[in-house]
Amino acid sequence: MKKTDSKKSNNNMLELATFYVSDALCGIDILKIQEINKHTVVTAVPQSAEYVQGVLNLRGRIVTIIDLGIKLGLSPIKKNKDNRNIIVDSQDEQIGLLVDCISDVMIADADKIEQAPANIGGVQGKYFEGVFKTDNSLIGILDIEEVLKE
Amino acid sequence: MIFEDDETLQMYVEESLEHLSDIEDDLLIIEDQGKNIDEELVNNVFRAAHSIKGGAGFMGLTTIKELSHNVENILGMIRTREMVPEPHIVSILLKAFDKLRELISNIATSNDQDVKVHIDALVSLTTDSLPENEKQTVTKIMTISPPGSRSTIQTSQFDIDQAVKEGKYIYLIEYDMIKDIQKKNKNPIEVMNSMINSGVILETKIDIESVGTLEEKGPVRLPFIVLFASIIEPDMMTVLVEIEEKYIHSITGEMISDDSGQTNEKISEKKEIITESEQAPAQKKIEIKPQTAGTKKKKQPPKKESVKTIKQEIKTLEIEKEEDQTNDNKTSSASTPQSSLRVNINLLDTLMTLAGELVLSRNQLMQSITAKNDRAIEISSQRIDMITSELQEAIMRTRMQPISNVFNKFTRVVRDLSNQLNKDVNLTMTGKDVELDKTIIEAINDPLTHLVRNAVDHGIERPEERMQKGKNPTGEIVLKAYHEAGQVNIEINDDGKGLDGEMLSASAVKKGLLSEQQILELSEKEKISLIFLPGFSTAKEVTDVSGRGVGMDVVKTNLDKLGGIVDIDSEPGHGTTIRIKLPLTLAIIPSQIISVGNERYAIPQVNLDELLRIPASQVKERIEKVGNAEVVRLRGTLLPLLNLSHVLEIDQSFVHPETGEVVQERRREIADRRSLKTPKFYNEKEMPPEEKELSTSAEDEEKRKHTDRRYRAASAINIAVVSAGPFKYGLVVDKLHDSEEIVVKPIGRHLKDCEGYAGATIMGDGKVALILDVASLARMASLSSLEGTDRVSGEEKKTREKELAQKDRTSLLLFKNSEKEHFAAPLNLVERIERIKAADIETVGGRKVVQYRGGSLPLYELNEVAKVSPLPDKQQYEVIVFKIVGKEIGLMVTPPVDAVEVNLNIDATTLKQTGIMGSLIVANHTTLMVDIFEIIKTLNPEWFKDKGIEKVTERADGQSLGKILFAEDSAFFRGQVEGFLVDDGYEVLTAEDGEEAWSLLESHVDEIMLVLTDLEMPKMDGFQLTKKIKNNSRFSHLTVIALTSLAAEEDVAKGKSVGIDDYQIKLDREKLLERISYYISVRD
Repeated sequence: MKKTDSKKSNNNMLELATFYVSDALCGIDILKIQEINKHTVVTAVPQSAEYVQGVLNLRGRIVTIIDLGIKLGLSPIKKNKDNRNIIVDSQDEQIGLLVDCISDVMIADADKIEQAPANIGGVQGKYFEGVFKTDNSLIGILDIEEVLKE
Repeated sequence: MIFEDDETLQMYVEESLEHLSDIEDDLLIIEDQGKNIDEELVNNVFRAAHSIKGGAGFMGLTTIKELSHNVENILGMIRTREMVPEPHIVSILLKAFDKLRELISNIATSNDQDVKVHIDALVSLTTDSLPENEKQTVTKIMTISPPGSRSTIQTSQFDIDQAVKEGKYIYLIEYDMIKDIQKKNKNPIEVMNSMINSGVILETKIDIESVGTLEEKGPVRLPFIVLFASIIEPDMMTVLVEIEEKYIHSITGEMISDDSGQTNEKISEKKEIITESEQAPAQKKIEIKPQTAGTKKKKQPPKKESVKTIKQEIKTLEIEKEEDQTNDNKTSSASTPQSSLRVNINLLDTLMTLAGELVLSRNQLMQSITAKNDRAIEISSQRIDMITSELQEAIMRTRMQPISNVFNKFTRVVRDLSNQLNKDVNLTMTGKDVELDKTIIEAINDPLTHLVRNAVDHGIERPEERMQKGKNPTGEIVLKAYHEAGQVNIEINDDGKGLDGEMLSASAVKKGLLSEQQILELSEKEKISLIFLPGFSTAKEVTDVSGRGVGMDVVKTNLDKLGGIVDIDSEPGHGTTIRIKLPLTLAIIPSQIISVGNERYAIPQVNLDELLRIPASQVKERIEKVGNAEVVRLRGTLLPLLNLSHVLEIDQSFVHPETGEVVQERRREIADRRSLKTPKFYNEKEMPPEEKELSTSAEDEEKRKHTDRRYRAASAINIAVVSAGPFKYGLVVDKLHDSEEIVVKPIGRHLKDCEGYAGATIMGDGKVALILDVASLARMASLSSLEGTDRVSGEEKKTREKELAQKDRTSLLLFKNSEKEHFAAPLNLVERIERIKAADIETVGGRKVVQYRGGSLPLYELNEVAKVSPLPDKQQYEVIVFKIVGKEIGLMVTPPVDAVEVNLNIDATTLKQTGIMGSLIVANHTTLMVDIFEIIKTLNPEWFKDKGIEKVTERADGQSLGKILFAEDSAFFRGQVEGFLVDDGYEVLTAEDGEEAWSLLESHVDEIMLVLTDLEMPKMDGFQLTKKIKNNSRFSHLTVIALTSLAAEEDVAKGKSVGIDDYQIKLDREKLLERISYYISVRD
C-alpha cells in the first residue's frame, strides 16, 4: 500500500532525497520530508532507547532525533559537519533522522522500483519499501513507518 | 440513509449534544417536583427531544429519530399532565437520553445500533398511561395520503390523536430538497428549527418514490415530506414554511387510513398492527375539536405575531449561520464533535485587540532596531513582554471551563446509585463556576466520579443504620470547589461511617503490603492514606473489610498525572473528606530549573517543597548512609536521598573545586581510568584518610566513585526536596537555577517508554529541557513511600541509639563575630534567623533596633558584653533572634550561620567570661559558647528585676525560695544550671550521679522541695533514680523534672512510666526556671 502512495506523484516518477547511513545509500520520497537541517543543539534524554539521540526544538515543537545508523543496525552516526537531520512526518508527529550526509535528489521511475532483497549493505530488508538501481549505485528506499517502529 | 454534507451533520451533532447537556438536570428537577410540574421546564426538555428528532429526520438518522420520538411522546404526556413524572418514568427517560447521547456521539454508526430495549420501555410507558380503549393507538400505524399528491407518510395513531387533542391542525408539507432548500440557500436544520418553534413535527420522510419518472413533465423534485402539527391556521402556513401552497396539505380525517396493507416503510419493529375502522381518528378529531376550540381562538392572535417574529428569527439565524460558516472554515479539519469549543465573544475581542497590539509593538520594535535606538528597543520589548503575558492569560481563559461540566452529572450519579442501594443521599455542590483548563476538566471526570460513587456506596450508611447511630437518615455529600493559592481545590465530603485506620492497616498487613512493624510507625492519617497504596484495594474482600477503596490507587495515579495532590481525612463514624488540589492549567506551569551534567531539567513547583544546600563542611555530618540508601538530616527528620544522575544514569560532570570550571569530558575519562585501572592512585590522591581503607571490589568502586565526588569532594551538595503525594525525598542535583514558568510540550512516541519525564519544555535559549516526574523517579529508584519510611525510621533508631550512647549531644548554632572567632549558641533557644540591611538599623536611646513586623527588634553585639573583637562593618548582617523573658532580641553575627549536632564537651573554665559559658571544639575550631541570658541580663538588668521582686515578695520571710536537688554528671551543666538556679534565689544540692543524689535525698528529705535530674548518668541513671523516689512513700510527693539535651519521644514515654513529672531542655534557662517556680508554688 505504501508503495503505491509513493508512486502517485508525478506520472509515476518520484523524487528521492538520498543520503548515506554508514556506507548504505538510502532514499526517502521527497514528499514525505518536511525539512532537512543541521541543528546540533540536541538535548540528550537519559534512559531512552539507544537509538534516540535526543530531542530538539524545531520552532516550538519537540522533535525526537533518531540515530538512523543505530536504528538500522549499523554503527552509530559519526559526528561531523556533514551530519544532517531529516525531519519526517510520522503519525502526526515530527521525527528527525540523523544521517551521515545528504546526497543528491534522484528522479526515479516508480515502475522500475524493485522489491528489496533480504539485506542491503548490512541493513535488514524489512526497512525498505524497495530498491532503485541507477547506473552506478543502488538506492534503498526507506519504509519510514517500519524504521520508526518503537 | 441520507447523510447531509459533513458541515450540516456536524452542526446537528453539536446542537443536539448541547440540548442533551442540560436535559439531565432538568429531568431531575422534574422528578423532584412530581405532580406540580413546572411546565416551562418540561417544555424545555420536550423541545430538546423534539429538535433532536426533527434533525434526525432530515439526516436520515432513523434510529435517533425513533428513539427521540418515543421520548417526546412521554414528555408530551407529562406536559399535558396525563402522566406523573415518577422516579421509574424519569429513570427510563434518563436512560433513553443517555442512549441518545451515545448515538449522537457516534453518529456514523447510529443507524446500526439496537435501541429496541429503550423503545419498548418507552412505548409500554405510553401505553400504560393511556385509557384502555386508546392503548392500541400507540402501536397502530396510519398512512396519510392527501389527495392530489403522490406523497404519503405513515405515523402512529397515537401521534395523530395527541395532536388532535391539543387542538392542532395537521399538515403534510412537501418540501423540495432541491428547490426549496438548496436553491434558496437554506439549511435543513434551520428549516426544521423554524417549524419546531411553531408546532410539532410528527414524522418526516424523504420520498424517493415520488420523484417520478423522466417522461413526466415538470422539473425533477426531491420531496422531503414533513407531517406537521401546529395551531397555526392553514392560511398562515405558507408564510411560515415559505413554499408554494399546493405543497401544503391540511390533513383531515378522511386522508388518514389504516396501514395494515402497506409495509414499504420500516415498520417491522412495531409489534402489532391492529385493524380498525378508517373513520376512527377522524371521528375523534371531530369530537375533540369543539372542546379545545375556545382556547385555540384565544391563542390565535398572538400566534400570528409570533409568525413574524419567527421569520425574523430565521433571518438572524441565517446571519449567525454565515458567521458560523466562516468560523467553521478555519477549523474545518476538526473531525470529532469535542474538538470545537465555545468561546465568549468578549474574550475573542480581547484576543483580537491583543493580537493587534502585538503587531503594532512588533512594528515598533523592528523600527527601533533599524534605527538602532536602544531606548526604543527597550520600551517595545517591555511592551511585547506585557502583551505576551496578557495574551497568554487570555488564551488560557479560552480553554477554561467551569467545573460544573463535571459536577452537574453527579446529581444523576448520586440519584441512580442511592436508589439502587436504597440509601437516602443529599448532594450539595458549591463552587460550580470555578474554572479549570479543559484538559483537566476532562481528566478529572473519572477520578471524581469514582470518589463520589465511593462516598455513596461505601461512605453513607443505610437509613436504618444512620437512625441507630443518631444521625439524620439522609446522608449528606458535599462537593466543593474553590481557588486557593493559584490552585483549584476540590473537596468531597460525606458524613458517613468514615474510614477505620486500624482495619485498613490490618488488611494491608494481611495483603503483605506492610509488616506489623511498619504499621506501628504509622500515624492515624498515614493509616488512612493506605487506601491509596497500589495493590491495596483490588480484591473484593478488602472492600468488605475496609468499607471503601476499590481502585483508590487508580484515582491517585490519575490525579498524580495531572500534577494534582490527593489528601484524605476521616473520622470513624463521622465521615470522610477527600481533598484534591489541582493546577489551573497543565499547559503552563511554574517550575524549578535544575541541572545535572550538561542538561537542565524542570521540576514542577507543585512537587517542590524546598531547596537545600549542604555546605561541604557539613556533608559528612548531615548525610548518612544506611545500607545503600543515603539520607539527609533535615530539621530533626531524615529524608531519603535520590541522586538524579544515578537514577537517570547520567555521566556526571565535575566542577573543579579551585577554578570552578566544569570539566566533563576529561573527568569522565579520568574517572574511568582511575577507577578501573589505577584505583590505588585514585585513593591516595583524592580520598580523605579514613576512606582509604575501602575495599576495591567492583561494587564498592562504583559506590565510592559517587560518594567521593558527590559527598566528600570539596563542593556543596544541592538538594531539591520534592514530594510525591505524602512521600517526601531529596533529589540530589548538580546545580539549582531559577524558578521559571515553562510551557509544557509533549514528547515523541519513542520516548514514551522512558519513565521519569512528564514532558519537555523549551528554555529561553531555545534548548529543550525535560520535565521531571518526581513520582516515577522515586519508583524507578524503587523508593516507595513505605520503603522510605521504613528506611528512615530504621535509620532514625540507629542514630538515636548512637545519640544515646554519646550522651549530651546537643544541637548548636554556629556563627562568627569577627571573621576569626567562632561562636555557638544552643539551637533550641533560637527563634529564627533574619538577614537585615545595615541601612535599616536605627540607633534610638543608645540602643540599636531594627523595625520588624510592626515592632522594633533590639539588636545586640557580642562585644558589648564580652571581650571579643567587634563585628566587621558590612552592608548586611545576619541576626539570630532569641526570645528571652517574653521579648525578642536579635544578636548580630557574621555568617556563615550553621546548625550542627555535637557532643557537648564544654570547658567551663579556661575561656569563661561574662556572656561566655565556656568553650568547646567544633570542626577543629575553638568555639565559644554564648550565654545569651547573661548577655541580656548584663545589658538589661531591669528586664529580670520584675521577676526577682515578685519572688522576693512571695517569700519575704525566708532567705531562699527553696532547696532543689540537682543530679548531673557533666561538670559544665552542673555549673551552669546550679549557677542560674542560685541566681534566681534557690538553694541547690548537687550530685554527680543517681546514687549520690539518693543519699543526699535521704539525709535532706525535709528540706528538698524538688528534684532535677539528668537522664544519662553513671551508676544510677535518671530513670532509676526517679523510680526509686516515686516508689518510696517518703519521697513520692516530690516533683521530678528531667533535664535532657534532646527531648526524644521514647524517653518522654519511658520517663512518664517511671513517674517523671516534667521534661526540660538543659540550656533553656527561662523555661526551666518558670517550671520550677510553678511546681514549687503548686506544692505550697
